Parts: sequence; C-alpha cells; structure tokens
Amino acid sequence: MLRNPRFVFPILAILALVLTACQPQVVTQTVEVPVIITATPQPAAEAETIRIGGVGPLSSPGYVVGGIAMQYTMNLAVKDINAKGGILGKQVELIFGDTEGLPERGTAVAERLINNEKVVAIVGEAHSAVGLAELEVAHKYGIPVVFAETWSDAITETGYPEVFRIAPASTMNSRASAEWLSALGKKTMVLIAENTDYGTGQATSDKKFHEELGIKILDTIFVEPNTTDFQPILARIKAMDPAPDVIRVAITGAASYNLEQQMVDLGLAPTEKTIGAASTDAMAPEFWKSVPNGNYYVFSYIGLPPSLYNDTTKHVAEEYKKAFNTEPASDALEAYDSVWIVADAIKRAGTTESKAVIAALEETDITLAQGRYWFKYTSKNPLPTDGSVAAYMWHQWPDPAILFMQYFEPNQAWQDAAVIWPPAYQTKGTSYIPFGTKP
Amino acid sequence: MNIHPVIIIWFLCAGPAWAALGAWGLPRLYRRKGLEDAPARFIGGMAGLTLGPLLLAPLWHFTPDLRRWYWSGGTGVLAAVELYGLFAFLNPNNLCVTNFGYVTDQVANGLTIGFIYALIAIGLTLIYSVQGVVSFAHGQFYMLGGYVSYYFLQLFMHVNPIVGIPVAGLATMIIGSAFERFFLRPMHQGQIERPGEYAILITFGLGFFLEYTVLAIVGPFSQKAPAFTDARVLTLGALTLLPNRLVAGAIGILLTLALLYLLHRTWLGKALRAVSMDKQAAAVVGINPLTMNTLSFGIGTMLAGMAGAALIPVFTWVPWVGGPAAVRSFVIIVLGGMGSVPGAFLGGLIIGLVEALGAGCYPDPSKGAAYKTAFGLIIFAAMLLLRPNGLFGRDT
Repeated sequence: MLRNPRFVFPILAILALVLTACQPQVVTQTVEVPVIITATPQPAAEAETIRIGGVGPLSSPGYVVGGIAMQYTMNLAVKDINAKGGILGKQVELIFGDTEGLPERGTAVAERLINNEKVVAIVGEAHSAVGLAELEVAHKYGIPVVFAETWSDAITETGYPEVFRIAPASTMNSRASAEWLSALGKKTMVLIAENTDYGTGQATSDKKFHEELGIKILDTIFVEPNTTDFQPILARIKAMDPAPDVIRVAITGAASYNLEQQMVDLGLAPTEKTIGAASTDAMAPEFWKSVPNGNYYVFSYIGLPPSLYNDTTKHVAEEYKKAFNTEPASDALEAYDSVWIVADAIKRAGTTESKAVIAALEETDITLAQGRYWFKYTSKNPLPTDGSVAAYMWHQWPDPAILFMQYFEPNQAWQDAAVIWPPAYQTKGTSYIPFGTKP
Repeated sequence: MNIHPVIIIWFLCAGPAWAALGAWGLPRLYRRKGLEDAPARFIGGMAGLTLGPLLLAPLWHFTPDLRRWYWSGGTGVLAAVELYGLFAFLNPNNLCVTNFGYVTDQVANGLTIGFIYALIAIGLTLIYSVQGVVSFAHGQFYMLGGYVSYYFLQLFMHVNPIVGIPVAGLATMIIGSAFERFFLRPMHQGQIERPGEYAILITFGLGFFLEYTVLAIVGPFSQKAPAFTDARVLTLGALTLLPNRLVAGAIGILLTLALLYLLHRTWLGKALRAVSMDKQAAAVVGINPLTMNTLSFGIGTMLAGMAGAALIPVFTWVPWVGGPAAVRSFVIIVLGGMGSVPGAFLGGLIIGLVEALGAGCYPDPSKGAAYKTAFGLIIFAAMLLLRPNGLFGRDT
C-alpha cells in the first residue's frame, strides 16, 4: 500500500493529528491554526445566537503567541457571558478569524466575518497594520470594532465612529517612557524599531516626546520583523563614543529576543552606562530561555501588576494559568475585556443594530480585568477643533496603566520584577535598579 | 537633490552606462570572432564600470583570451576597490571609512554568518545537482533540525549542544530519505504525468506539512538551546567576535569539507557525481540512479538539519524560522551556479559579507538594517545579468 504515494499523505496527516491530540492544553489551542474561520456557518433561521467576530494572528508572520492567548481569553469571555445567561436572552458566539499579521488577510477576514458570518461587532487584533486594514472594512459596513492590542496612533486618529480602542496609543507609551527617563536624568537614546506600522509609529512618537524632555535620539534604526542577526547594526552603536544612555527596543516576538541577547553579548546594554529597555514581550516566560543573560532589562507592562489585580483579573488569570501555566499578558486581558465591552454595549442598547451599539459603546462605564473602561472623546463630547487634544484620543480609553518593570535576578518571573515607574506603583522604592546591584 | 560633480564625471567616464555597453557589446564581438564568449559579459561589464572606454577599447582591439582567472578576478576586484573609493570619497565620515576595527568586525561577522548560510544552501544545491529538483521544503528541514537538537538536549541536559548536531542530522536524513523514497521516486520512475509541477507542489506541500505539524506539536513559543560556550564575547585586538557564532561557523566549514571529501574521494561521492552528470551513463556502469537520488535527498536534508542544530544555540527558534532561510538559500545557489557545491559555498560567503557590510556601511542607519536582504539581492540581480549561470554554473 505504501508504494502508492496517494495513501501516504493521509496516513502522515492522521499521524500528525493523533500526535497533536496527545499534547497538553496549549497545543489543542494551536490545532486550529491552519483553519481560517473557526466556526461552522449556520442557516439564518437557526441564528439564535449573537455573533461577535474575533480577529488576531494565529499564523506567521503574525505574533502567534499573542494571537493564541487572545483567542483563548475571548472564548473565555464568551463562556463567562453565556454562563450568566447571555445577552438579550440569546447566547453569544465568537467567530474567530486568523489574520496572520497581514493587512490583506485582515481585510479578507473582516469582509468574511461581516458578510458571511453576520457578526454584530469585531474585537481583538494584535497588529496595527492589520487593524488599519480591518477598520476600513468595518467603517464601510458601519460595524463597531473594539481594538484590544493595536498601538499605532493612526488607529483612532481615523476618527471613524465605529472604531474604539482599549490598548494604549504609541504616544501614551512614548510619553511614559520619556517622563521616566527624564526623571532619571538621561540625555541620549538609540531606538531600534521594527519596520511596521507599530514600529514606525512608536519611533515617531518616541522622537517627539523624548526630545521635548531633553533626551536626544542619536539614531533610530528600523529592522525587518523577522531579523535574526543584529550584529551589523549593533556594531554601529558600539562605535558610538560616548555610549548612549538608553537603548530602547520597539520590536515584537522572537526578533526582539535575538536583539536583546545580542545586545548583552556585545556588552551594549544593560550595563553600568546604558539602560536596556526591552520590548513588552520580555515579560513572556520564553524570554529567559532566549535571553539567558537578560538580567536588569527594563520592560513596559500595560495594566496593573498582579498585586493590584481585581476579582475579574484574578478569575481570568486563574483560568489562563490552567491552560498555559503562566500569568496572562496584557494582550490576553485586553482581549477578554474587549468581548465584555461589546456584550455590555449590546445589553444596554437592547438591540444588535450597529448604530445603537456604537452609541452604547460611547457610554461605556464598566470595570473589567484591566480597570474601569470609559471613552472620553465621543460624538457627544467631540475632540476640540483647536487641536489642544491629540486626534488619537477619539474613542480611546484614556486610562491604561503603563508600568515600567525591571528584572533584578536571573530567571525571575515577571510578576516578581520590580515596578520602577510610575512612582505611585513602585515596589522597590526606586526608579531604576543600577546594573549589578540589588534593590 | 544635489548630485556631487564626482558622480557626474564617473557616470561620463565609467559607471553603469559603460558597464551595460561592455556587457552587451563584448560577448557579441567575441562570438563574431569565433572566440570563447562565456566570460566576456562579466568582464566587459566590470571593465566598463571601472575604467569605461580606457579598458574597453584595448579589450575590443586585442580580444585577449578571457578564460584566464585573472581577467574575471582582476576586473572584479578593481570594481570593488573603485566602488569603495567612490563611497569613501562621498561619505568621508562613515564608520566603514574611518574605523578599521568596525570594518573588520563586520567582515568577520559576515563571514561567520556566511559559512552557515553556505551550509544550508549546499544541501539544496546537492539535491538539485543529482535530481534536478528544487526542494521547497529545505527551510523546514533546517527548522526541524533545530527542534530535534533542542528536544534531544532537553532530554540530556548535561551534554554540550554540539552533540545535538549529529542527532538532528540523522533525524532529518531519515525523514528526507523516506520522503524521497515514497514521493519523489515515482516521479523518477516516470509514473507521474507532469514531473516538473509535481516536484514543486509535493515539496511545497511537505514544507507546509512540516511547518504546521511542528507548530501544532511544539507551539508558537520561541525556544533556544543552551549556548555552546559560556564565553559571550571574544576580543582579539580590534576584532570583536561572538564565540557561539564562531562555533556554528566552524561547524559549517567542517561539514562542508566533509561533504567535499565524500563527493570527491569516496566511491559513493563519485557515484553521486556520476548520476548528476549523466543518469543513463551512470546506470550503464552499475550505479543505481534511484538509490543515489534517495541518498542525495537524505544528505541534503541532513545538512539543512545540521545547520539548524548548529544555529539553535545562537538564534531564537520558532516554527517559521525556515522560510527566510530557504529564500536566502535559493539566492545563494543561483548566485553560485545551480548544482555547484563550491559555488554554493562561495555564494553563501558573498551573501553573508554583502548583507553585513551593506547593513553596516549604508550611510543612513535607519535604512541600512531594513535593506539588509536587499543588498544581497542587488548582487544577485547583477550576477543574473552578467553571468546567468552563476559563479560556477555549468554551461547549458
């Protein structure tokens, strides 16, 4: 039988599926990876559920780790909502689309979710470039979309009535970083960013805010998101005399780990002279495997530290730990919240009709895993026309907590890292733990 | 935009226009005179680029025998020196001009990475030379080798990651040979109606299958094996080296030498080369081409797997790490000449060097790193124009 190649492929495929089924929980999540839309369409007459579309990357080149975490917590939110009786007497159903980190996939998935799956709202996404593609589709059909983890200012700068965001805008992150570094008296910085909407957006706002507070950006270096070898560009930084005070990384995923370990290997940062500001992915458990010498790296964290978790956060964290054996990152918590925000708006609107849901979303006031959500600038309180408020504040949650945390022991769990900024949340009473010391 | 007068003078007296003229005209002249014209295009291009009419005119008049190595080598080096001089003149403050240690660092890193690129590409070129099949699953075997080594090292924590390399090689060789035996052999036996398309589709399918199977089993989380050595940086005078990369590069050289020994000094290697030259003639003297096909695929995938195992202690590993590596390998084997092992080796070094120097020397640092892959592709495009068969390509 094996002589005929027609039989071999199915056998291999079945073998792979069997192998897959034997794996722990994380893996059962990833089985769905090659599937684009992970729910079976139902005939209209049977549509007794309220459908919410979820978007996020489950395939490369997207940030797959984040996409899988987000898909998990969105499903968890739906489960929790349905356990409380659903909304408007109906069960909620999540239709998740894999957007692969590619804008064109984002467009296709959004079109399919809206036209074929008849979703009433879209939530999620972890890539700004993809979000920018999706929001155009949502705007075309007037379907509300709540972005969970897209940072580019451009997302809410569109000013579309359908677009809401609960992640911080890049500008908010830049401002927090500038305030922290300026308080430390730092004067020079090199920024290494990925060549995407997120990276270029972050670079622009970083330059503006840091230079306003007297921190000179010596160089901004853009790299492709899948770069492995950073030595050619790190040699440039090494040749700088004097060394920069700070090297800041605005890259996601595996590339950021390669960069951070190579920075340590070449003695660039973190050192006595230079602060190493790693990407937010430095909080993931795989950080220490890839960057074993990454002690004293600083990373930013969105949301409140575990010591300040509320009941919802604790509940999500507990369920998440059962599945992934680690604390949820902010993207997972934001994704959970995004589903609840939409469900809450539908409930208050009393209908799934888009305009009513959007109006209800503008009135959001609900406390969830990441804190109390509300939107300051809405159709009832429009952005001032004099430009005194930045355009990205439209439908933007104004209060995401942006913390800077720092490792001070090798292989430290991120929850144990010191919160060093803002001062109100400091856990070790210091804004920076100097290289080679203990707090 | 201001154009420096030196650039204008260069464009008039030498430069791309004269290069195009040389590359277009010289081969025609050689052909008309009934002389060997194969190297004339490259040499004509380089001569035009460097000295313009000053060098093209004597070539035109005397039509010397261009097959001598010093013609290709000399004009190539002259072009490199002249372009560097021009670059230094226009960017006097560039680190690549002012800082010798910086240049040696970049060259050393480019070569180290180049040895590893070469190792991945050599496997691909070997498969092509024997079977005439371009394996689109090559990058995935590279990825797989890394993971095999990683999980092997997880089981035996105390061993040095070098031990993982033969293990990964063995595993990928078994999988590669089995795939060849069951999926490609029917094609060689004439059972497949459209073998060309079949080979592309089946290897492409295998690539997807491997990538998503690995993703389903290990998950998307980044992994990395323990380092070869705890030494993080090695300073030799002005030179800064990363020891773990050096080890990986050295493994690349050793495996390449071992392969060359196998191909040129053993019966098996000679049989492989015989099949790659002429299948029917090889069969007549008692070599089974089908066995050699399976073997070549197995060795090719083994080399990719060993390259992966050599690199997983150096770079962070994810299931889709194979894609960019495969694309680079395609560029390298076309650059070196499809099917040529020394060509793939040299091609790997050239791509490694050009990427490192391009990213390191490009005047605008924010663009230099983003264009890294593009620098290799410029050389690739120039090579296709000037020497379509590659550095060591066979004449077709």
